[in-house]
Parts: sequence; structure tokens; C-alpha cells
Amino acid sequence: MQRAQLPQHLQRHQKRSDECRRLKQAARSRAPKRPERRGGKERGRTGGRDASAVAKNVVLGAADTSQKVLQLEDGRFVDYRWTDGRWDLSKFASAGGKMDWDAWNKVIDAEMARRKILEESPIPSTNEEPVFFDTAEIPWWAWVRRFHLPEAEKLNGRAAMVGYFLAYFVDQLTGFGLADQQNSFLGKLALHVVVFAVLIFRTSSTIPMYKNLLDEATFYDRQWAATWDGQARPSETEKP
Amino acid sequence: MNNCKPCGGAIPLCMVDEFDLPADIIDRKVTKMKMISPSNREVDVGKTLSETEYIGMCRREVLDDYLRTRAKKHGATVLNGLFMRMEQATADGPYTVHFNSYKDGGKVGKPETLEVDAVIGADGANSRVAKEIDAGEYDYAIAFQERIRIPEDKMDYYKDLAEMYVGDDVSPDFYGWVFPKYDHVAVGTGTVINKTGIKQYQQATRDRSKVKTEGGKIIRVEAHPIPEHPRPRRCKGRVALVGDAAGYVTKCSGEGIYFAAKSGRMAAEAIVEGSVKGTRMVGERNLRTYLDKFDRKYWATYKVLDILQKVFYRSNPAREAFVEMCESDYVQKMTFDSYLYKTVVPGNPLDDVRLLVQTVGSLLRGNALRQGANSLPEAASSGRRCLSAAAKAADDPSLGCPVEYIDLRGTSIDQPAVCKYTGNKYYSDDWQAH
Repeated sequence: MQRAQLPQHLQRHQKRSDECRRLKQAARSRAPKRPERRGGKERGRTGGRDASAVAKNVVLGAADTSQKVLQLEDGRFVDYRWTDGRWDLSKFASAGGKMDWDAWNKVIDAEMARRKILEESPIPSTNEEPVFFDTAEIPWWAWVRRFHLPEAEKLNGRAAMVGYFLAYFVDQLTGFGLADQQNSFLGKLALHVVVFAVLIFRTSSTIPMYKNLLDEATFYDRQWAATWDGQARPSETEKP
Repeated sequence: MNNCKPCGGAIPLCMVDEFDLPADIIDRKVTKMKMISPSNREVDVGKTLSETEYIGMCRREVLDDYLRTRAKKHGATVLNGLFMRMEQATADGPYTVHFNSYKDGGKVGKPETLEVDAVIGADGANSRVAKEIDAGEYDYAIAFQERIRIPEDKMDYYKDLAEMYVGDDVSPDFYGWVFPKYDHVAVGTGTVINKTGIKQYQQATRDRSKVKTEGGKIIRVEAHPIPEHPRPRRCKGRVALVGDAAGYVTKCSGEGIYFAAKSGRMAAEAIVEGSVKGTRMVGERNLRTYLDKFDRKYWATYKVLDILQKVFYRSNPAREAFVEMCESDYVQKMTFDSYLYKTVVPGNPLDDVRLLVQTVGSLLRGNALRQGANSLPEAASSGRRCLSAAAKAADDPSLGCPVEYIDLRGTSIDQPAVCKYTGNKYYSDDWQAH
């Protein structure tokens, strides 16, 4: 249906609305489909919302070798930081080439991921690409800071909380303050016993575990001695 | 007497000396060994060996035949037969041994009997003599081996090198090996706790050495039981057991040839001594002297290997630590000294302390890397993990098959990828370019 010509004083509005409609249509055809607007795709895997380049590499695979991260390709382990069978520490180094805590942390992460991948999908060992990386390259303080310190913090925190409340209750009940409680020999002994017991027997399954270990340690000896059941060995009875 | 025993065939140096074996018995002198961890970290072991030290690889049929012929030359009577059963008419009387004699050739033996004063049972892991004396059962490992003839250039690499693969995929409590024989290699693995999964473990061993043994032809497949510990009763009356029949196989390395030969010799010596060169009747006490002597001499070796197996074959992190430890010269020297000469030599105490610290450190690092990995996101998935119920081997290593990553590139609904352990089919459309 042909639109009737608008009166002249309104034709200005007509032009503008036409212009708007045209612009909107152009914009809509340019704009990506919905998922892409948020960094996603309609089909296939994505790195995730706001994925960094590294994460995208890990999931989608990078085009060139210089950016591949933790990939298994054609039965080989490929990573831009893995050369000649070891992690190239210079690729992890922080600014100025220093191997500081952050750098070593990344090395630990990388080795963890590599072992996990290879445990799940073992690859053949080849003569052309032997693996030499030794975890002893990572200094002891990096291990301590990464694995021991969080655990120590957790345990000390628990001990402090429990100790504080126990000391408070004992104080309320007996009137002995924190210093007085530990003055006697019995008090010191109780403190040591509790601390070591908590360290040694961590969960309720630890006691049967120690018993099992003891059985396991002596099982082989008992198997060997079985033939001597009820009889003394000649070396024990005969005098030399 | 003419069966070919399925055996690794590795003999230590002390056996060549003690038993005066001629040089042509040994097909190959292995002087290097490569240990390969679950993450394919490899360590070359053998740089501490001197020029004259080696591990001898021999063919069992050649070795056995030589020893038998030598015994015959010294006056032994050799009868070709199959032991059936034995009985003792009176409590102190002679033993009547019933066997099928193959003296006249032919497939079916002729039943014969023989009266003897004493019996030494050396008939291997499935010993019938052991059954006759109610020696009891033992736990055993099943070892599976394929002999593969590989092309010359690949065989050259294995000229004097043996490989050991460790990992959960290869075996939950043992190792996979590639041993060179005279013109082929033997690729095999073993396990105690998951005998039904032995074929998968063998496949995993072949996969790990796939590139190095490519183009090979399998010429023989063999399997045999390996005892894990001695039988409860190794001697009864004037019957004693030696070798595999008694269960003298070490843990960790599964070595038994030398101990079989040595225990046989010790038993014979005990009989000679007890009977005062054949003038008096031997008694059970004399045979027990051999047991006592053997126990005292080799107990330390067996115990140390048992401890090594318990500590280092426990889990993948422990195996990684094991391979890391083998890098050190001190460990290599101690290992070879105790293997080649069968004595546990206590080293320098300071070195021992350092070794202990290094061991603990390696174990801690290995376990830390494994623990932390549980919180990592999944990586590199152009594939899919096969997660059938039987495949989930996360906590219980004796269940099912290894968890596997399957590459789904190139698959479609008509051409799915198949998990080689469970047969599950997987496909994906996501890999196609859009």
C-alpha cells in the first residue's frame, strides 16, 4: 500500500525515521549473533566468558607453536615453555629475568598439569624427545611456601582457636589463668601430649592406618619364617 | 627336558663366577638400563659400572642344557620324565617316585617308579613336589611377555640397553620391561593384584614403547606365574624345595634365576654333608640346615627389595620419585653392587643420611604435585575422557582400566572412536570447521 504523502511540515520527521530505520537494519546485520556478543559461540567449545588468551589456547588450541599451552598432539606433549625435554625457566621468569616466587609457582603449576595430563593419557617415550626435567630444580623454599605454609597456617589456626577457648573455660572453672595453667609439670605435660597427639593422629582413620602399616611391615618376615613354625633354626640351637 | 622356559633370562655377574659358566652361554651383556617414569622422565642407569661388569642375558634352554650336561659328566643320571606323584611306604623308609618316562621318545610317557632317599623339588612355580608335601600356597604375580622381532636399526638401540617402564597404566604393582634377547626383544609386564587386567597392561607397555619397537613382528607370546614369597613349608621329611618351587623370587625386580641355582647347590651340599658323603642316611634336620643357611645369607637382600617395592611402587608420585632417585650416582652404585654380587653393602653413613633426605624430598615433591593437580581445570580437550564405570580407577588401582583421553577429531556418528579398553564409542561434531 502506498503511503500517502505527508504534509510538508511533517516530511522532515519522515526522513529522520527512514534514516533511523535504515541505520538500525544496517547495525543489526553487522552485529554478531547473541552468544558471540558475550564472547561465546553458537557451536563448539569456547574458552569461557572473558577468557584470556592463555585459557583460549588451552581449550581451543593455538594456531602456532609459540603459543601452545599444555597440549597433547600426535602423541607428543607440546607447550611453548617446554623445550628439549624440560621446562625452559626463562619463559616463566618475571620482569628482569628474575626467578622469584611467582615464577616458580608457575613452574610448579605447569609440571603439575603436565603430570596430570600424562597420567590420564600416557604417551609413548621416544628417543628423539627424551624428558629430563627434575623437580629438584625448583628450590626448596618454593615448595615450602606453596604446600607446607598453607597447611601449617590452617593447623595453627585450629590449634589457636581450640586452645584459646579451652584456656578460657579452664580459667572460668578453676580460676587459673593462662600462665598458671602451664606452670605445673602436669600442665606442661598435658599441653605436649595434646599437641603431638593431634599431629600424629589426624583423623579417626589414622589409628587403623598405623596398625595396617605395622602389619604390612612385618608381613613379609612372617611369610619367610613360616617354614620354621614350631622348630628352632639350626643356627640357634647348635653351638658353633 | 626340551621345553623353552618363559623367563627374562637376566643373570647377575656372581652367577657366572660361582657356577663357572662359559662365556658363550651369555647372548648379550647389558650395561645400560633406562628407567622411564609415568610422565616419561627417563634416567640412564649404569654409568657407575666398570668395564668388566654387566648383566648377562641368556637363553634358558641353552643355560639349562649346559648345567644338565655338566652334571651328567660328573656322574649324575639324567632321566627324561614327568614327575607324577610320590609316596613313602613307611615313616622312615625310602620315597617311591612315580614318573612318566620319555626315555624312548614319543609323546606319551611310560609310567615308571624310582626309589630314593631324599627328594629336592625344583619343578618351578607350579611344583607338584610342593603339592605332595603340602607345602602350602603362595601369592603370585602373573607375568606376560611378547617376544617381538624388530628391524635392525631399532634393534641396534637395544644392543646393550634394557628398559623399565613404571606407571599405573603399565602395572599397578610391578613394572613393564623391554629386554633385549639374542635377536629380538621381549616386551612384557606383570601384576599381582589385577591379574585379569594383564592384557590391558601389556597393551599400555606396547604403547609406551610403540615408537621404539615400530615395525616389529610378534614371534611368541608367553605368560607365567611368579611367586611373591616363599611357601609356608619348604621342607618335610627328606623332601626339600628349591628355586621357584620354594618361592625364592625377589620383590621389586622379580629376579629368581640366581637364587634358584644357589638354593639348589646349597640343598645338595647339605645332603652331601649330612650323609657324610653317602655313608649315612640324611635326616630332615640336615635339609633344614640348607634352609637356615639360605635364609640367613639372603634375608637382607629380600627384605630391602620388599621395602623398595612397598615404598616406590605404591602410586604414580612414588614412581616418579623412584626414577628421580635413580639419577644419583650413589643409588646406582649401591643398586648394582647389591644386584651383581648379591650382598647388601652398607655404604658410608653420611651418604646414607643424604640419600634418606633426598628420598623423603622426592617423595614429598611427587605427592605434592599430584595432590595439587586435583584442583586444576581440565586442559587440552580436543578429546573426551572415557568414563565408563569400570574405567574410573582414581582411588582403587585394582579396578578397571586406565582413564583414557580419546581424540575426537575426525569422528562422526558413523565413524566413532572406540575406547580400546572398554569398547565404548564416542563421537563429536564440534571439531568440524564452521
